Amino acid sequence: MTGADVLAMTTLTLRVGVVAIALAFLPALGLGFWLARREFRGKAFVGALIALPMLLPPVAVGLGLLLLCGRRGPLHPLFQALGVELPFTWWAASVAAGLVGFPFFARACEQAFSEVEPRFEQLARSLGYTRGATFLRVTLPLARRGVLYGAVLAFTRGLGEFGATAVVAGIQPGRTETLALGIWSRIEQGDDAGALALCAASFSLALAATTLAEGWLRRAPRARGTPRP
Amino acid sequence: MSQSELALRGTAGAFRLDVEVAWTERVAVLFGPSGAGKTTLLEAILGLRRNMRGRVCVAGEWLEDSARGLFVPVEERGLGWVPQDPTLLPHLSVRGNLRFGQRRAGADGAPLLDRAIEVLELGELLDRRVDELSGGERRRVALARALASAPRAVLLDEPLAALDLPLRARVLPFLLRVRDELGLPMLYITHDPNEAMLIGDVAVVLSAGRVIARGAPREILWSQAVLPFAQALGVENVLEARAQGGTRVETSRGLKLVVPAELPAGAALRLGLRAEEILLAAEPLGLISARNVLAVTVASCEREAGQALVHLDTGAEPLVARVTAAAAEALSLARGAKIYAVIKAQSLRPL
Repeated sequence: MTGADVLAMTTLTLRVGVVAIALAFLPALGLGFWLARREFRGKAFVGALIALPMLLPPVAVGLGLLLLCGRRGPLHPLFQALGVELPFTWWAASVAAGLVGFPFFARACEQAFSEVEPRFEQLARSLGYTRGATFLRVTLPLARRGVLYGAVLAFTRGLGEFGATAVVAGIQPGRTETLALGIWSRIEQGDDAGALALCAASFSLALAATTLAEGWLRRAPRARGTPRP
Repeated sequence: MSQSELALRGTAGAFRLDVEVAWTERVAVLFGPSGAGKTTLLEAILGLRRNMRGRVCVAGEWLEDSARGLFVPVEERGLGWVPQDPTLLPHLSVRGNLRFGQRRAGADGAPLLDRAIEVLELGELLDRRVDELSGGERRRVALARALASAPRAVLLDEPLAALDLPLRARVLPFLLRVRDELGLPMLYITHDPNEAMLIGDVAVVLSAGRVIARGAPREILWSQAVLPFAQALGVENVLEARAQGGTRVETSRGLKLVVPAELPAGAALRLGLRAEEILLAAEPLGLISARNVLAVTVASCEREAGQALVHLDTGAEPLVARVTAAAAEALSLARGAKIYAVIKAQSLRPL
């Protein structure tokens, strides 16, 4: 294994992670806001459903994905229509990473939105802002720390995704072999030095992402949505 | 002057609002004690309470008429709301908050905003962060933000309530300037009779969700029609008492109190005591300057908007105290709790 291999795997992992977060972003935001602002029967059940990808063995999540989106799965035509070949491509790795990170992301969003006092939203409405404009100009900025925190949590969880990815994307060097899969292959092959090199790359990636986010969180003024007299 | 009309009915939790009133004066004061439904009514006027049905017309503009199926959404009502808590957006600077208000007015709002900044003397504060402002400054910014939105009327919810006396004296002139120089219709909520008389052209007195009187503030607030509604005076405790010699008095229900000045024995008097002037203590205090310390039992404790209204059983006269919700929490105020009520003689004011 050369340095170029490590770099390629790191880039692929990064790409898979970023796309995973991009895929999870709107659903996590929407679901988080919905859960934070609405009371309804069966809310606990919805909460449990969201937590499922976190609670199930990742391999089971991967199998589920494969059954849904595989060549004979009910969602396959949808992805074909979008021009995306999902199973055994890096897209599948992204979907798997996004799915296992989603519970962290959606929960963090729910928590962040529920800390925004609805008073601020009412005030914006009274000043002429529509619901959508209020969400973008008031709710989201006030909740941004929590939302970002959730994104980072989901991103780092996605970086280390193994079980679901292995099932739905396979371990194909150069195509779907992310750092986590690569480490496993090296161990299988008895290439301990290679495995350790990839571990170091994983470590650096996670540390860099968290440090960037921490830095931003510390710089951004604390804007918790609690009114004060 | 244009007509304003409110006819609203509905419930908010256990609270029932049933209001019907109209006025043509420019500056109306909505007056009543805590828990009378003033804020609920204001929120209904703003369109924030969809479960209230009826008619709302502010300064000649119909905003709601359930019978006709009219319900103008919050963002289209064009009202300038200054909530009790100024609700400044913490992620924006003072300037950002003012611009946030100005957006509805568009380019036309620029001269309005400049005027509001001038009248409310905010020029120096524009680049500050909102958490660096004092309570009085926060209120002035909230008011300017509402004015910058080119509202058809301004709705103020107890703008002076949470301020201490010196701060009130500093903010009040600004309110009067806005009233006199901008010429906008205003609806001003207060539980302070002095404020009501100072600000309003007309006063609407609200008690337990109903309008109990309406008229010129000076005439109505101390009239016999309103006086029996002791709570509506903003003096939640009105005590009929008789002097017992010296500074001692006894209420008609047998509560013995010490007042600030000596009175001729046998003289009848009516004392007002504001709910927030009663201190509550979990344990008996040692030597203390307050002349009245009563062992009481909590009859009930209603929490609302960060405050708690505590009904006290003194064994004689019932009293109402108001403390912050945090204080109620710290003292574990709940029905049956045995506590001490501390009342300064100075707080007992003859009406």
